[in-house]
Amino acid sequence: MSSPRKVVELFYDVVSPYSWLAFEVLCRYRNVWNIDLKFKPAYLGGVMHGSGNRPPGVVQNKFLYMKQDLKRLSEYFVIPLSPPSNPFEAMFEKGSLNAMRFVTAVAEKDKEEHVLVEKVSRELWKRIWSTDQDITEPASFTEAGLKAGLSTNEVEEILNLAKSQPIKDKLKSVTQEALDYQCFGFPCIVCHVNGKAEVFFGSDRFELMAHCIGEKWVGPQPVKPTAKM
Amino acid sequence: MFSSGKVVELFYDVASPYSWLAFEVLFRYRNVWNIDIELKPAYIRGVLHGSGNRAPGLIPNKIMYMASDLKLLSEYFGVPMFQPSNIYEKDSLNAMRFVTAVAEKDKKGDVLVERVSRELFKRMWYTHQDIMQPASFTEVGLKAGLSASEVEKILTLAKSQPIKDKLKSVTQEALENKCFGLPFIVCHVNGKAEVFFGSDRFELMAYFIGEKWMGPYPTKPTTTM
Repeated sequence: MSSPRKVVELFYDVVSPYSWLAFEVLCRYRNVWNIDLKFKPAYLGGVMHGSGNRPPGVVQNKFLYMKQDLKRLSEYFVIPLSPPSNPFEAMFEKGSLNAMRFVTAVAEKDKEEHVLVEKVSRELWKRIWSTDQDITEPASFTEAGLKAGLSTNEVEEILNLAKSQPIKDKLKSVTQEALDYQCFGFPCIVCHVNGKAEVFFGSDRFELMAHCIGEKWVGPQPVKPTAKM
Repeated sequence: MFSSGKVVELFYDVASPYSWLAFEVLFRYRNVWNIDIELKPAYIRGVLHGSGNRAPGLIPNKIMYMASDLKLLSEYFGVPMFQPSNIYEKDSLNAMRFVTAVAEKDKKGDVLVERVSRELFKRMWYTHQDIMQPASFTEVGLKAGLSASEVEKILTLAKSQPIKDKLKSVTQEALENKCFGLPFIVCHVNGKAEVFFGSDRFELMAYFIGEKWMGPYPTKPTTTM
């Protein structure tokens, strides 16, 4: 009998580019490592506020470094990351509250064990961090939902659900869960091993994380890619 | 002197725990990647101030995370940090002036700077001893193989204006490379400069300098620290 899968929770927000890197890597390793990957869509703005942290982009040298860092990581991780033409507007003025409420609503409706959450999240990341498109308007969520395989009716339902109090509360509570793990930014990965929770911040702790969960890190592409993103 | 053409500059401060990780890893890889390591002792508070950044220690959740992160990294990398909790309690200005003075006097191409830096890292992060008083630098210097009179000279030099200015200018150099924290690594390969912040970009760095990352121990460790 095989050993139980280790639960790995990914707290993320589509406004966060490093979250996209972590997301894709974990999806690639889902069947390579003996893990049970759980998506935890949360709100980065809430985490920043709750932890007293500031987004890295507000420090000019960090912002300049990130541009370069993301370009290199995009190439190395083979993820088509491309900053929006106005990153400050996209990240700080427009933000991601509606987007993450939409993802939370998808999660609520997702009968297929996270498949839809994965697809919708990816479509939203592509919009903001690849094709420089909006992620705040209902029309944007409709497009993303349809691309992810939802029907027009399903998208309609989810759009309504996303505006409901239960969904707003759900997003708040998952964000609080992240803060309860002493989170201060995203991505935040929580690995549950032998009854203990190990927290890893960022998309650059996979080698260490693998060591901690008794697995092996073999780089950003553990299996030869068969399909393009 | 034969040069591989791959110059790797390490801007670091002994008050920065992640700098110790980067420092040890680079030395382990020096002959594996055939790189010329140029140590650039700098001042972390100067970097933070000059870039408008804040020390991570100001955010309670970051402090808690860093304590557990460093514990795991210490074990994984085999760099003996012990309960690294007193981040930012000790000002490293005197220490980095001392290191800068050693660099000025180091005729053996950074060997002394390497040893002195390592002793200071150990004091700060392993044995939790002082790194601000002259007596501490005397101990460090002697442990690194300097004679008592050499240490005396370096202690005097460390208080001089040229050394104060030198530390400032190296710190400024980091800032000109858009640095916002330490460790900060600048790789010069084929006439191009690639900058990497932190001690968690080695795999990426290897890829961009045409080398391979083989984890914390590229060769079986022969000596303990």
